[in-house]
Amino acid sequence: MMVRLLRRAAVSLVVLTGVLLIGFLMLQVIPADPAVAIAGPQGTEAEIEAIRRHLGLDQPLIVQFLYYLQRVLSGDMGHSVINNASVSAELLRAIGPTVELMCAAMLWAVPTALALGILAALRRGGIIDRMVMTLAVMGVSIPVFWVGLLMIQFAVRTRAFPIQGRGGPLWTLDGLSHIALPATALGLILIGPIARMTRTTLSDALHADHVRTARAKGASETRVVLNHALRTAILPVITLIGLQIGSLMGGAVVTETIFSWPGVGRLAVGAIIAGDYPMAQGAIIFLASAFIIVNVAVDLLNELADPRLGART
Amino acid sequence: MSDTLTLPRRPRRLPPRLRRNPMAALALGLLLAIALAAIFAPLLTSFDPYETALRQRLQGPGNGHLLGTDSQGRDMLTRLLYGARTTLMIGCAGTAFGALLGGSIGLCAAFYRKLDGVLMRLVDVLLSFPSILFGLSLAAILGPGLDSLILAVGLSVMPGIARISRGAALSVMTQDYIESGRAIGLPDHRLLTRYLLANAYPPILTYTTLAFGDAILLAATLGFLGLGLQPPTAELGGIAAEGRAFLFIAPHVSTAASLLIFAIVLSFNLLGDALRDAGDRRAQ
Amino acid sequence: MPRPSSFPPPVTLSRLAGTLLLSCIATSALAQQAGVVTLGRTYDADRYDPQRSSSLAAAEVLYMVGDTLVTLSDDLKSVEPALAERWEVSEDGLTYTFHLKPGVTYCDGKALTAQDVVGSMQRWLTPDGPYVSTWKAGMVDSVTAPDDSTVVYKLSAPSSGLLFQMAQFNFIIIDPAEAEALGDDFGVTAFNGTGAFCFDSWQPNDAVVLTRHDGYDWGSPALGNSGPARVDKVVWKIIPEESTLVASLQAGEIDATYSLPSWSIAQLEADPSIQLAQPAASFRTHYVGMKTSRPNMGDVHVREAISHAIDQSAIADAIFFGTVDAADSYYSEAALDYDPTTDTSPFTFDPDKTRTLLEGAGFTMGSDGFWQKDGTPLTLTYYGFNSAREQAEAIQGDLRKVGIDLKVELFDSTAIWAKLREESYDLFQMDYPYLNAGDALNLYFSSASIPSPNRMMWNDPETDRLLEAGNTATTDAARSAAFMALGKHLHEAVLWKPLLLETPTVAFGPRIAPFSPAGISGAAFGTGLSLALK
Repeated sequence: MMVRLLRRAAVSLVVLTGVLLIGFLMLQVIPADPAVAIAGPQGTEAEIEAIRRHLGLDQPLIVQFLYYLQRVLSGDMGHSVINNASVSAELLRAIGPTVELMCAAMLWAVPTALALGILAALRRGGIIDRMVMTLAVMGVSIPVFWVGLLMIQFAVRTRAFPIQGRGGPLWTLDGLSHIALPATALGLILIGPIARMTRTTLSDALHADHVRTARAKGASETRVVLNHALRTAILPVITLIGLQIGSLMGGAVVTETIFSWPGVGRLAVGAIIAGDYPMAQGAIIFLASAFIIVNVAVDLLNELADPRLGART
Repeated sequence: MSDTLTLPRRPRRLPPRLRRNPMAALALGLLLAIALAAIFAPLLTSFDPYETALRQRLQGPGNGHLLGTDSQGRDMLTRLLYGARTTLMIGCAGTAFGALLGGSIGLCAAFYRKLDGVLMRLVDVLLSFPSILFGLSLAAILGPGLDSLILAVGLSVMPGIARISRGAALSVMTQDYIESGRAIGLPDHRLLTRYLLANAYPPILTYTTLAFGDAILLAATLGFLGLGLQPPTAELGGIAAEGRAFLFIAPHVSTAASLLIFAIVLSFNLLGDALRDAGDRRAQ
Repeated sequence: MPRPSSFPPPVTLSRLAGTLLLSCIATSALAQQAGVVTLGRTYDADRYDPQRSSSLAAAEVLYMVGDTLVTLSDDLKSVEPALAERWEVSEDGLTYTFHLKPGVTYCDGKALTAQDVVGSMQRWLTPDGPYVSTWKAGMVDSVTAPDDSTVVYKLSAPSSGLLFQMAQFNFIIIDPAEAEALGDDFGVTAFNGTGAFCFDSWQPNDAVVLTRHDGYDWGSPALGNSGPARVDKVVWKIIPEESTLVASLQAGEIDATYSLPSWSIAQLEADPSIQLAQPAASFRTHYVGMKTSRPNMGDVHVREAISHAIDQSAIADAIFFGTVDAADSYYSEAALDYDPTTDTSPFTFDPDKTRTLLEGAGFTMGSDGFWQKDGTPLTLTYYGFNSAREQAEAIQGDLRKVGIDLKVELFDSTAIWAKLREESYDLFQMDYPYLNAGDALNLYFSSASIPSPNRMMWNDPETDRLLEAGNTATTDAARSAAFMALGKHLHEAVLWKPLLLETPTVAFGPRIAPFSPAGISGAAFGTGLSLALK
C-alpha cells in the first residue's frame, strides 16, 4: 500500500515537472523577448540587459529551467507585462471564484446525473433511459458558448438573473443569483457523461452474481439496488467524475468568459488575448497542476475504497 | 494529407451495421449533406461570401436572403456554407494530424516496450491540459492563423488517440502472430504496419471519429473566444462570436452558426457511438 | 494552495432551489439608495494616478476627485479659471504666473499650497520616471513657488497650447507627500485630491466608490455649479458586457452611462424612462493612417486612391447606427484653429476616382480583379483593434470592391501598440481625442515622433517648420495662422483617411435631473458637480 502510494506520488511529480517544462518552454518559443516585455515600452537597452541578467536569461536553458522551478516552487510566478501585477497574487484571487463555480456546477449536476442514470438503468429502454441517452450525446455536442448565449438572452429578456460577474458570498441572495446562470451552463457539461456511465455500470451490476444472489435471498429491490448494485457501480462513476474535472475546467474557461466570472479561466483567456504571457503561463500551469493533483486524489480515493482495483495494477 | 490510420481497408462492412441504427444513419446522412454543401458552396449560392453591403446588414430571414444577412450585409447562408467549409477543413486537417501523431506514438509505445514509459508520461502531460486551454495557449504562442489552429486542434486530440492506440496495439501484441512474425525475422516497420496497425485500427478509428466531433467543437470555441482566423474568412465559431454583439437585435446570426456547429458535432458523436456499439457487440 | 475564502457552505438542494427563486425577485427589485448615483461603464483603469495613466477610464474618475489649475469652456475654445483664479503670461510666452484660489483643501483637510503644485509637476516630470504624456507640459524650464499662493511656470520655448493642455486630467494636482509615501500603490489604494468628490475605495474590475467632498466650493462658475456636489456618493460600476449594461440601465440598476453599444441608442430613445444628452463639444476622430515608408504608399495618388475607396458614411450609418458623423477632415471643423477653406475633396467616397488615380499611378487591372504594377498585385496589410473589427471588415470589403486586396490583422488594445512600432503594415486604424487643431497636429505629424506616434513615417521639413511656428507663437493670431496653414498642408498630403467623428451619448434614467455633459477628454460626467437626483 505505502509503496504504491509513493510510486504514484513519484509519477505525478514527474508529470508535474513535465507540465512546468512545457509552461517554461511556452515562454521560450514566443517571439517576444521576455526581458523586453518586462521592461515595457519605455525600457532602455541597459534596463533590458539588467533584467536579462536578473532573470538569468544569459544562462544555458537547463540552468534557466532550474531557476524557473525554484521561483515557481517559492510561489513567484513573475509579473504581468501589462500592469506589473504579481501573477501569483492574481491567481490566488481567481482560484476562489473558479473553485466556487465548479463546485456549484457539480453540486446540482452530479446528483441530477446520478438520479437520471439510476432511473435509466432501472428501466432500460424506457422513456427516461432514452431521454438520458439523448441528453448524454447532446450534452457533449452542444457548444458551451451557445448555452451561455441562450441563457443570457433568456435572462436579459426576463430580467430574472444578473448575467455577469460575481455577487456577494454564496449564502447571500446576491451571490446565489449571480452564480445561478454560469453554474447551470457549466453543470450541463457533466450531466451527459455521468448519467450515461451510471446507467451502464449500474445495469451491469444489476446482473452481477452477488446482486443476483442477494435478490435470490429475498432482499427487497430497493435494497438490492442501493446496497449491492450501486455500491459496485459507483466506483467507475467516481473515477469518471474525477476525469470530468478536465472538461469542467475547459468549460469553465468559456463560461467564465461569457459571464465575466472573475476566475482562472477568464484570467487565462484575457491574458492570452492581451499577449500577457507570464500571466497566461501562470494560469495554464495552475490549471494543469490542479487537474493532475485532483486526478491523483481521485485515484487514491478509488484505491482506498476498493483494494481490488489496486491489486489489478 | 494521406492517413492510413483513419482509412479503413474494408468500409464495406459499415453500412449493414448502420442500418440497424437509424440515428447513426440519419447523422451520417446529415454530415454528408453538410459536407457536400460546404464543398460545393460556390455552386449552391449566387452570393459572394466576401461582398459587403453595409446598408443591408443584420436583416432577418427573407427579403432575398434565405437566412438574412450578417453584420456586414453579407448573405448569412453563404457565410455559413463557407464557414462550415473552413471549420470542417480545420477539423479534418487537425484530426488527421493528431491521429497520425497519436497513432504513431501509441503503436510505438506498445511495440517498443522500452519507449512505453517515456512516451506515455509525455502523453499524460498533454492529456492533463484541458483541450480548450491547450488550444488557447498554442494559438497564442503561434499567433492567430490557419496553421496554428490546425496544429492546436491536432495536438489536443493527439494524446487521447495515442492512449487508445496503445491499448488497442497492446491487445494485438498479446496475440501470437506478432511473436511469430518477429521469430521469422520480419522487419519492425512491416510488423508495425502490416500486422499491428492492420489489426488494431478499429478502436482507433472509432475514437478518431469521436475525436473529430471534439476537434470541430474546439475549433469553433477557439474561434468564438477570438483566437480564430482573421477577417474576412468565414468560420463558424467566429460567426457565432460576431453575432454575440447583436444578440438582442439580430439573434439569427449567432443562433444559425451555433446550431450548425451543434448539428455537425452531434452527428459525429452519434456516428462515433454507433461505431463503438458495433465494436462492443463484436467484442461480445 | 490557500483555502478559498468564499467556499460555499453546505446547502441542501431544496434550500438552494428556494433561495434561487427568491433571488429572481430580489435582483429585479434592487433598490437604489438615496443620494447615491451609480454610473456604469464597460472598462476599468489599471490605476488612478493622473501622471501614470492615459486612459479615459482613469480620466473619468480623476476629474471627479481632483482639480486642474485651469479648465475649458463648454465649446472647448476658451480657458477658464479652476484652482488658479487668475494668471499672467509674459510677453515672450515663456513665463506663466498662476495665482491660486484661497481656501482650497484636500479631502484629508490639508490646505492646498503652491508647493503642492510644484511637487505635482516635479513628480510628473521626473527624468526617466514611469510617467506618461509629459509632452503636454511643454519644454519646462522650472516650476517654482515664490509664496504659498503663487506658482511660476517657466518654459524654455513658448508653447501656445499649454493652457489648453493644462485642462487635461494629467495636470490634476495630486498630494505629492501621499504619492511619495504610497509609491506604486498611489492611485490604487488611495488618492487624496481637491476634487468635488473624495476617493473612497476601488475594487478593480468591479467598482470605484467616491463620496462627496464637503465644503467644496471652488468649482469653475463657467461650468455651472461651483460646489458642493449635489449627490452624496458616486459609484462607478464596471459591467464588462455591453448588453448587460443596457439592460442594467433600463432596469434602473445603474443611473447613467455613455459606454453604450451603438445598436442600443435607438432602443433607448424609444424608452420613455431614459433620457439622452450629448456634450456641446467633444472631439474624437476615427481614421485610417497610411504608412508613407511602405512600397507604393509613398505616392500621394495611391493614398488618395485608397481614401476614395472607403465609404465612411456607410460605416457611420450602418456600423454605428447613425450615432456618429462621417468625417472628412483629420479633426472636427468645430475645433479651434480648423481652417474652413481646407480642401477635403481627397476624402470623399468616390470609387471611380480610385480607378483613375491608380491607372495614373501606373497600375493595371489584373485578370484576377486586383490591381497590379510590374506583375506585383496591390496587396496591403492593415493593423487594427479587436474592438473595431466591424470597421476593419467594412474597409476590407470596400477596398476589395475596387480591386485592392487588404490583409487585416487585429490585436487587443494591450498588444497593438508594440505591433504598431513595426514596419510591417501599410494601413492602421485608430481613434484619438483632442481639444483643438494644435493638439491634434502636435502629436502625430512631427518628424521627431517617428516611428511612433508618427506611424505614417511622415518626414517633412515644411510640417516641422509650421508646427514650430504654431507652438512658439505668442499671439492667438500667429498660432491660428500657423496651425491653419499646417492643417491644409497635411490634408493635401492625404496621410489619413478620416472616418468618423464621435461624440459620446450619455443615457440616464428617471432618477437623474437633466444636465449638460462635459467635453474635455471625452469624460462626459466631468467633475460630477452637475449630477443631481430629481
